[in-house]
Amino acid sequence: MGGIYEVLSPWAEVDPVPLRGISPRLSDLSGKRIGLFNNNKLAAAPILDAVETELRSRFDGLTVARFGRRAHENVAQTEDGPRYEQWVKEVDAVVLAVGD
Amino acid sequence: MYDAVSTEQLDTPAVVLVNEGFGFDARSAASGKGMPGVRLVPETVPCECTVPERIVSGVRAAMDDVVAGLTRPLTAEERSPAPREPDGAGRIAFKGHLAEVQQFCYRRGWTDGLPVNPPTEEAVREMLTGTDLPAGHLVGKMVPRMGKVTVEKIAINAVMAGALPTSMPLLIAAVEALLDPQAAFGTWQVSTGSWAPFWVVNGPIREQLRINSGSGALSPGDIANATIGRAIGLMVKNLGGARKGMEDMGVLGNPAKYTMVIAENEEANPDGWEPLHVRQGFQRDESCLTVSFPNSYLQIWPYGSDDKGIIRALSSNMVPRWRQLTLLLPPGHAQTLADAGWTKSDIATYLYEYARVPAYRSPDFWGVPGVVRMRPPLNAEDPVPLLRSPDSLRIVVVGGAGVFMGLAYGASQWLTRRVQLPGNWESVVRKYRNFVPNHVSY
Repeated sequence: MGGIYEVLSPWAEVDPVPLRGISPRLSDLSGKRIGLFNNNKLAAAPILDAVETELRSRFDGLTVARFGRRAHENVAQTEDGPRYEQWVKEVDAVVLAVGD
Repeated sequence: MYDAVSTEQLDTPAVVLVNEGFGFDARSAASGKGMPGVRLVPETVPCECTVPERIVSGVRAAMDDVVAGLTRPLTAEERSPAPREPDGAGRIAFKGHLAEVQQFCYRRGWTDGLPVNPPTEEAVREMLTGTDLPAGHLVGKMVPRMGKVTVEKIAINAVMAGALPTSMPLLIAAVEALLDPQAAFGTWQVSTGSWAPFWVVNGPIREQLRINSGSGALSPGDIANATIGRAIGLMVKNLGGARKGMEDMGVLGNPAKYTMVIAENEEANPDGWEPLHVRQGFQRDESCLTVSFPNSYLQIWPYGSDDKGIIRALSSNMVPRWRQLTLLLPPGHAQTLADAGWTKSDIATYLYEYARVPAYRSPDFWGVPGVVRMRPPLNAEDPVPLLRSPDSLRIVVVGGAGVFMGLAYGASQWLTRRVQLPGNWESVVRKYRNFVPNHVSY
């Protein structure tokens, strides 16, 4: 069988990531402004079109606001970050379509 | 998923519609950012779907969950997630016989499916003779898991891959390249497109490591070509945490993820032809490596052995849509083209201007984002260029005798890093320089 090997771990250590909960939900979507976020994948826009149609048909007074990512990167890390942050502040909730 | 986390961090509720096949990947991404509770809604819309009816039906089926995702009160766990159990193995991972080590590593998901060399303390210490950086030196953190890439972790994975200590400077430079935001490694490595890092080595280190730039440079059999790429693949998995079908969502996968490493045959570049690293802005005598992320590799035959036959074959075999092309040109063709007055720049310009297809073969014509960033062509027969610009092509002289050429198609950029050598470099090279196969004749 040969000798005994004591082997080191190839698996990286990670710094502890501070855990954070998600934001409180809305009680109702009627009259709310819903952000529709397009991640720049092929199907994201038509998926959001369908989401918008469904939301508008279900909730009175619901409006939508769109935001489109221009690169395949986290938008907060791009030059669009400030514009995105402002957009988020102007909506009550966001639906993101990944589009993959 | 990172966009959803960013949205929640701005105190705004979010829900993510994600194809049902990407749930694990999405959950890993959210957890990696410290927000495991991001609400996902799996949907059944086919990936990158262009059929409106399928999209509408898939979204409609998911809408109750979308609404619930935005309105259902938070659970205690969503409000305040419990700390996770550490997933590390400690510095010493295992002790056992060779076969047990192999089984342990494979079961942990730490291999590429092939047997690995046991990364013992002694083997790792020897690997570290290839660098004068301290073992604990942090090169950076690798996405998606943000694993800490220390010099020792690089050495451990290099031992497992069977690399020689002389590979360490290249491996460290490779990690630096991957961590450079311009490489967009976090996108390419885990993309459905199965892009694989393609490494081209230039400068004196090619010869010191005996990296093959000649016959069959992309085939198995050379320890440097084979193990440098393999070590990087293990690092991507074990340090970055990009695992096939979990975080790396390549649809088909790519054999080049085992390894795709060559050296350029700089000496076969005719007069006036610059090697890749010089084209990238470095000095000829600097050791460098260049990474790009092709997902396809096509080998073609020229339509004649003169310059016209070579160029005709290239322009006739280029494929619409991809935005970046690395042309692998064997030395014979390089000389033929140079003798007829072509430079590398001439070839790129010519192919940009004349390698075209009718618009109907271009994704733009069909409303699909593709290679040509302009107003979509209106006439199906209008010729459209296959390259985005002459700068979308790089030429590397490599390969043996024969006429086949290679086209490596990608969508990224070429990113080049200078390789930093340790103070003891000459002695390390001397120690391993003659580690070569001695094939018998038959």
